Amino acid sequence: MFRLLLLLSLTWPAIASEERARQVIDEMEQLYRGDSSDATMTMQVQTPNYNRTLTMSSQSYGKDYAFFRIHAPKKDRGVATLKRAEEMWNFFPKINKVIKVPPSMMMGSWMGSDFTNDDLVKETQLIDAYSLVLLETDNQYKVTLTPKEQTVTVWDRIEYTVSKDPLLPLSQAFFDEDGEKIRELTFHEPKEYNGKLMPSIMEMRPLNKEGHLTRIVYDDIKFNVPEITKETFSLRNLKSRF
Amino acid sequence: MLTFQIAFRNILRQKRRSLLTGLSMTGGYVLFVLGYSLLEGSYGNIIDIFTLDSTGHIQIHQDDYLNRPKIYKTIQDQEEIKAALTDNPEIKSFTPRVFSPALAYAGDKTAPSRIIGIDPVLEPTVSRLLQKVAQGTYFSTSPNPDGYYEAMIGRGLHIRLKLDVGDELVLISSGADGSIANDIFVVSAIIGNKTSFDRMAVYLPLVAAQEFLSLGDDVHEYALLVNDKDANETIASGLSAQLPELTVAPWQEVEATFYRTMQADKQGNYFSMALITFIVFIGVLNTVLMSVLERTREFGVLRAIGSRPMQLVRLISLETFILAFISVMVGFLIVLPFVYWFAEVGLLMPAPIDMGGMVFQHMKGEMSARVFWIPMAFILGTAVLISIPPGLRAARILPKEAMGSH
Repeated sequence: MFRLLLLLSLTWPAIASEERARQVIDEMEQLYRGDSSDATMTMQVQTPNYNRTLTMSSQSYGKDYAFFRIHAPKKDRGVATLKRAEEMWNFFPKINKVIKVPPSMMMGSWMGSDFTNDDLVKETQLIDAYSLVLLETDNQYKVTLTPKEQTVTVWDRIEYTVSKDPLLPLSQAFFDEDGEKIRELTFHEPKEYNGKLMPSIMEMRPLNKEGHLTRIVYDDIKFNVPEITKETFSLRNLKSRF
Repeated sequence: MLTFQIAFRNILRQKRRSLLTGLSMTGGYVLFVLGYSLLEGSYGNIIDIFTLDSTGHIQIHQDDYLNRPKIYKTIQDQEEIKAALTDNPEIKSFTPRVFSPALAYAGDKTAPSRIIGIDPVLEPTVSRLLQKVAQGTYFSTSPNPDGYYEAMIGRGLHIRLKLDVGDELVLISSGADGSIANDIFVVSAIIGNKTSFDRMAVYLPLVAAQEFLSLGDDVHEYALLVNDKDANETIASGLSAQLPELTVAPWQEVEATFYRTMQADKQGNYFSMALITFIVFIGVLNTVLMSVLERTREFGVLRAIGSRPMQLVRLISLETFILAFISVMVGFLIVLPFVYWFAEVGLLMPAPIDMGGMVFQHMKGEMSARVFWIPMAFILGTAVLISIPPGLRAARILPKEAMGSH
């Protein structure tokens, strides 16, 4: 009996911390998504060889559906990406072709940015695929995510830092199998969008590629938009001209 | 002059022996010249095939593009380089190019391919692209009435994608600004054959390729031909000094693997030619030694009446040299028509070499001064060299003992 109590008292904080961690991460995931969302954003890609700015719109529905369409520059206008569960397609209006992103290309760059295709597909499944450990300080939560055994990923762990007040993400650090930090996603300048406070800037910085940086600035984002339904995310819609 | 007379008389004294020795040297010379001519000629031919086919005599790139091609390693200042190339009287012609790997689509078929963007006007002045058009017509810079640019594809793509002249070809690649390059082109021609190096290539007009790959006015390569192809390395280093920010490489660097293989093969061939000469001269050495031995008495007398030992060495060297010289001259007369025939007509090869649509049927020789004088110098030099030991032997003869022998 005593042993059982001891065991309980030892494991209880762990269970509680995992539960709290799930809540925190889930809340962060919800932040950008809502039930559905409709956003316009600007993506700046900086590399030693070129700088590029794209403006695009994105829609999401639940955690499985997402849609991106490039509006500028003119050369790339209309290029679109559709994500449904773990599948992804790109559409190129100039050649009128839908190309499915094969699993081998998942770690490849998305539209020349430092985000990978995988970031778009898997980003939303952190709480399902990873086990979480919470570390709480006065004003921050630090959640360490380690992949579950059956999870296929290239990361050894992800360290997710969240500020307590307001409850907003600060950074995500990605570590490889050697424990080395490979890239870092940081969140800046919280702004209120239609009544919801969230960071307006996201910066992805690959640490193994000097001088590379991708910055996404949210120009506007609306949540729980009734026009966005599952049907929005069809291959036919992907191919439609706009 | 006296030595010369004596030497000449000695050669004529043993006519049959001199004739046989001379013949072996003539044979050695003829073999040497023919081997050398064919070796240089066939390599010269192969070098011409690929330098004139596409490589050019000299290539200019940015940085280490040649070994580590990256789409953004581009040559940016076109005006400067064009001015430098136009002003140089040693340069015959030049052409800019851009390259990128791409995925080619036609219908539901795909194939990996390589985009080669070329200037439709300048390219034929450097390469044989125009002659390699197997079907269709050579493209132009301007897009067709529907707004699509024309493309010329390699035979391999034509087969893999079942693409014909007039069909639409979709290309996907990544642009220099990180964008996904994608566009439709219309096939205007099919290039070369199944074995061409460019069988999986898509040739695009330069402006179309630059636009497709978001390169602006930049190019990846300048290929050029020079007037004197043997001087290409000197011209390349001159250009390199003139364009310090770019990398200028003669074809010997561009095709480094081939060049090294060729050098190794040539060295092997030089060695076997030297071996032939060596065998010939073992016989010659024997003859000279015999003749010295035979004339021991005579040399004794010469020494007794006051000839210096060095004079005897000189006499014997001169004898050998005169004999070798006559042999080589005869050999020259014999081999001249052969080399001429090899250079002009050439040996018909059992299987013709096909270099991407250009067929080469004959193994050709080289007809140039060096083909004759290098073996000549080599044989005359060896003749003098091997006559020294018998000469020294003659010089060491003591008059008393020599005159006592038979």
